[in-house]
Order: sequence, then structure tokens, then C-alpha cells
Amino acid sequence: MKDIIIGIDLGTTNSEVSVVEQGKVTIIKEGDKKMLPSFVGIDDAGQVIVGETARNQYLVYPERTIKSIKRLMGQDTQVVLADQAYTPQEISAIILTRLKGIAEQYLGQAVSKAVITVPAYFSDAQRQATREAGEIAGLEVMRMINEPTAAALAYGTEQAEAKQVLVYDLGGGTFDVSVVNMQDGVVEVLSSHGDNHLGGDDFDQQIIEYLIEHIQETHNVDVRQHSKAMARLTRAAEEAKFLLSDQPYAQINEEYLLEHDGAAVHLSLELSRIAYEDMIEDYINATIDATHIALKGAKLTASDIDEVILVGGSTRTPCIRERLLNEFGFEPHSEVDPDLCVAMGAAIQAAMISGQEVDTVLVDVTPYTYGTSAIGVLDGQPYPFMFVPIIHKNSVLPNRKTEAFLTSYDNQDTVEIIIYQGEDPDALNNVKIGEFLVEGLLEVPRGNVITLTLGLDLNGILNVSAVEKETGLEKSITIKNALSQFEGESLDTAKQRITSLFGQMDPRIIEEEPSTVSDTPEITAARELITKAEGLFEKISAEDKEDMVDLIETMTGCIEAQDIEGLDKSSAQLTDIIYYLES
Amino acid sequence: MSTAYEVLNVATTANDAEIKQAYLRLVKDNPPDRNQEKFQLIHDAYSAIKDHKSRVSYALFRLPEVNFDTLMEQLLQTEHTLNLSAEFINQLLQASIDDTTLLNATATSKK
Repeated sequence: MKDIIIGIDLGTTNSEVSVVEQGKVTIIKEGDKKMLPSFVGIDDAGQVIVGETARNQYLVYPERTIKSIKRLMGQDTQVVLADQAYTPQEISAIILTRLKGIAEQYLGQAVSKAVITVPAYFSDAQRQATREAGEIAGLEVMRMINEPTAAALAYGTEQAEAKQVLVYDLGGGTFDVSVVNMQDGVVEVLSSHGDNHLGGDDFDQQIIEYLIEHIQETHNVDVRQHSKAMARLTRAAEEAKFLLSDQPYAQINEEYLLEHDGAAVHLSLELSRIAYEDMIEDYINATIDATHIALKGAKLTASDIDEVILVGGSTRTPCIRERLLNEFGFEPHSEVDPDLCVAMGAAIQAAMISGQEVDTVLVDVTPYTYGTSAIGVLDGQPYPFMFVPIIHKNSVLPNRKTEAFLTSYDNQDTVEIIIYQGEDPDALNNVKIGEFLVEGLLEVPRGNVITLTLGLDLNGILNVSAVEKETGLEKSITIKNALSQFEGESLDTAKQRITSLFGQMDPRIIEEEPSTVSDTPEITAARELITKAEGLFEKISAEDKEDMVDLIETMTGCIEAQDIEGLDKSSAQLTDIIYYLES
Repeated sequence: MSTAYEVLNVATTANDAEIKQAYLRLVKDNPPDRNQEKFQLIHDAYSAIKDHKSRVSYALFRLPEVNFDTLMEQLLQTEHTLNLSAEFINQLLQASIDDTTLLNATATSKK
């Protein structure tokens, strides 16, 4: 059987997996859900949980739940999950393993290859980390494609005539903007720009700060000290944000948020859309500035753009649509679901790589300039770290460029080559992404020619080689994730570690999870009630807690047995207890 | 070695739109994911002759043998009134020399 390559959108907030079958893109559902929340947790039994269940658990056990891990990808850091330290790659690998499982169940065969999307503005280190996450999850990453480009691919199949399109992609944690030419079945990226740390999470954070301040003023309590209350505020802020996409006001109610000096702290306040838009204005301005940089990179102006495509859940914010309408003079498009079009594009690219006939072919560019430093002139002064760009921003991928350099003094036997990513004429203001020495050069007068070749592959990963022209002495490196903890074998160790985490899972539980998504309204309500009850555990007497635990057990039993009648009865009892405790 | 025109299979008199279309057709048949080297060849050819300025520069510096007929044809294709002053020729030359200012740079050294 031919190897299937799946497409994965590994998002900050939600992830999706997709595949092309008989020329049609399918987002693979788990139950009736197309999106898997990018939450990872460890449950009471010490088992790993991913998605909706982990997202729900976050409210009760934030200390053993991880959200938005994508924001840490490429950083030298670890997160603690139930007293165990994990790298961001490992946490991402847990999400990928789950997506792989969802795809395998749907396809009825093993899957070992994937195309994974990354933000266009992801750096070399972030791309390397994503590839490592794939490897840990047992997925060969055939290709990483940029998210806005993937979205354009999803739209591209519907386009007939030539168009210049601007893709505005605001997700949970990252912002990208790309200018794309769609013509004759080719999606040709002209320029990309973005911000790796700007997204819907930042909008939530603004609301959270506002709520914290409000509670500080009204109750003189610092909520930051209470992790559970913070988790509830986070959820409340997110819900308020969603409401404000449709309504001018959102009511935020969190009863019994925490206890302070023996008194309960309830949160109740109204947030207006206008106040919210004020909070996020700076972020929106930053995205519009980036949009202009992308246009400039494509040597176009707003009036050259035929269409604007919205990608990412955060583009549901009404003021974003208004700002773009003002900039371009027409309504942006969002016909293809902004949450799903990236995953669809990933599947299309995967199909292309596996040799299937596809309507649209992709040509992408690098959003960064790569170069080295050399003795030169900066601001009219001699300067030892002048940045010498070799591959320029918005160059087409793959790309290979060679520059010649000269040794600077007689008998120089060593050259240190440092590679930077950035746009600043002073190399020290750019990001250093790798360095190496070329040793044993000829003992000749200065002016010995060293050629430096930079190659960027289709994934945006850099290869560097330097050659002494006279002798052919060569030294080359692939820029490895300089911050990666994974070298060779340790990647295998991580793989075993993550696999064994999943190994602990009771297969029965995996089987059962999809059934939870076809919940009746009664069951959904009951689950919410249970979560609410669990939220009270810390503040109530042991006796009350025991009563509640018993009821919750009865309810869980009813849910499993689909005994709605029994469920109604125990739900009513639990509601009474909660009412009694809260009043 | 084929010329950029041969790679893209276009006439030396082709205009921007014709060259772009020929490029996109070739890319559609040779996507970067299937054959990187072939794609790079196609893309390099396209970059070399995609607009009037690059075609003149290509004719001057890159064509295997300078064909003065082709060169004159390229020059005369401009929509502006042709002004063959020293200044204009200088600008033409400058256009392609711009990119090589980095030649002055020398490698950073370390003891």
C-alpha cells in the first residue's frame, strides 16, 4: 500500500489533522470535533490526556495541565507537568501523537509521515524544534510549510484567474502576513512578515490583567497567588472575548472564585466591546504595520491587492475586519473556515509530495535575511561586525547563494564564520544562529579567498559551507537548533519516554473518548456541573466534599450507562448542594 | 549550457507577461517539492530575464556570447524615449553592479 502522508496544523490553541482522498480534502474528525484543543495534561490516574479533556481539567488542575506550548517552541526551557519536566518538543509530540492516532483510526492503517505547518515567521530554531517534535511522535516530517501559504493553497484550488492576495493570519499565539500571487495553478508567495509572539492569547491576557486589577480594587486580593482562580479567570477572559465578537457587551460572572479572609470572592462585571478594543489596539496596530512591511516586500501597494483572506480564530474580532476594510477598501474573505484552512492546505501539500495530482503548486519564500559578519564600514566608521546579507528576505525557496570573502591579515590560518538572521546592518543586533571555524588555511598574504555558501531548503532550514578557494579545504554545518537539548540519541530517549506515556493509557479509555463528543445536552450539563463542583472542593468541609464525591461518582456511572433519568436525579441533588454552599 | 530563454522555452523577444506565464507553467509541471534542482534552474532563468532591466543586464553580462543584435533589440524595446547618453549607459551598468558592492567586505578573523 502506498504511504499516506497526513497534513497537520499544530496550532497554539487548536490542532487539526487532515488528508486528501480521491482528490478531496478531509479534516479528520474525532467524534464530531474537527479541532483538538492543544492542551496536554496528566489525569488523576497519572495518565496522559490531550485535547478537550485536558482543556477541561485545566480549570481544576492547572498544575498538571499545559496550554499554548507552541509559544515556547525553539526556546531552551522546560515545563513542569505533574512534577516531571518536559521540553516544549516533548509536549508538542504528545499532541502530534494524538493527532497521528486520530488519523490512524480514521484511515485504518499506520501513519508515519506528515506535512506540518509552522508560522511563516517561525525562526530556524523554532522550525528545528517542530521537526524534533515530529520525530519524537514517530512522524517523519516530509515538509514544513508556512501557515499563511497553506491557507492560500486551500483557497487556491478555487481560483480561476490571476490574483494578488494578502493572507492575514492571526492565530492563538502567532501572527503572519503573506502576499501571494495566484496564477495558472501556482501559488507564488511574494513576501512574508509577522510576529512570533502575537495572538489571541495576548488578547486574553489583556482581559485577565483587567480582571485581576478589578479584583484587587474591589476585594484587595492578588489573584495571581491562586493558580486555580487564575485558570478560571483565563477561561472567563477567553469566553468574554468570544462573546464580544458577536455582542457589544459581555457579562463576566465567576462565583466563588476564591476565599479571602474567610469571605468568598465573587467576580461579576460587564466588559464592553469598546473597552476591549481599546485594550488590544496596540496589537492590532502592530499587525497593520506588519501588513505594510509585507506589501513593501512584494513591491506592491494596498490598491494592487485583489483579495484579503482571513486565517486563524482571532480574525473573528470585528475591529480587525474593520481595520482591513479601511486599509484595502473591500471586505476580507473568510469563506474557507479560518480555523481549518491551514490544515486543508497541509493535506494538499502532503498529497502533492506523495505524488498525487493536485490543482495547485506552491512556491514559497524565506521571511528572514541570512548572512554573516565581516570587517566593513558602518555609519562611516570601520566596524568589525558589519552584517553581510547573503540570502535576502523574500528570496524563493529552495535557495543557494555564495559570497567570496578575503582574509584580513597575512598568514591568517583561521576564519571564524558566524551566521546571523535579521535585517540590521550591525550584525550584533541580529540573531546569531550558528558559528564555526575554518582552520588550517594557507600561510599566504592577506586576501586569501574564502567562499561562503548558504543553502536554505524547502523547510526553511539552513545549511552553511565555507571553502578555501585555493585548496578546496571545506567546512560545513547544518544549523542545528543551537538551543536544542536533543543530540542524536537523546531524541530516541525522548521518543521512548513519550511513547511509554501513551503506553500507560488504558486502550479502553481511548476507545471511549470519542463517545463523549456525542453527548446529549443533559450529559454536557452534568459534566459542567461536575467541573463546577470539583472547583469548590478546596473551600468546603470534608463532609460536604464526601457527599459531592459520592454524587459525582453516581453521575459518572449514569453517564457511562447513558442513564439520563438517574443522571437527572443526581444532578439535581448536586445542584442543590452547590447552591447551598454558594449562598 | 542553455540560456535562460532556452530553459523557459521563450523567444528572446518575449515580453514580461509571456515570460511569467512560461515560468508558471514550468513550475506547475516541476514543483519544488518533486525536483529541487530542476526548479532552481527554472527559477534562476526566470529571475534573470523577468523584466526589461534584468533582460538588458542578462544580455550584457550573462549570455554566453554577447549578441549585439539581441542587445540592441532589448534596449530598443523600452517604452520610454531612448536616450543613449553616457549617463544612461552608466545607469544601465550601475543597475547590475549594485549587487556586488559587498565584494569590498573581508572575512572576520580570529586569532
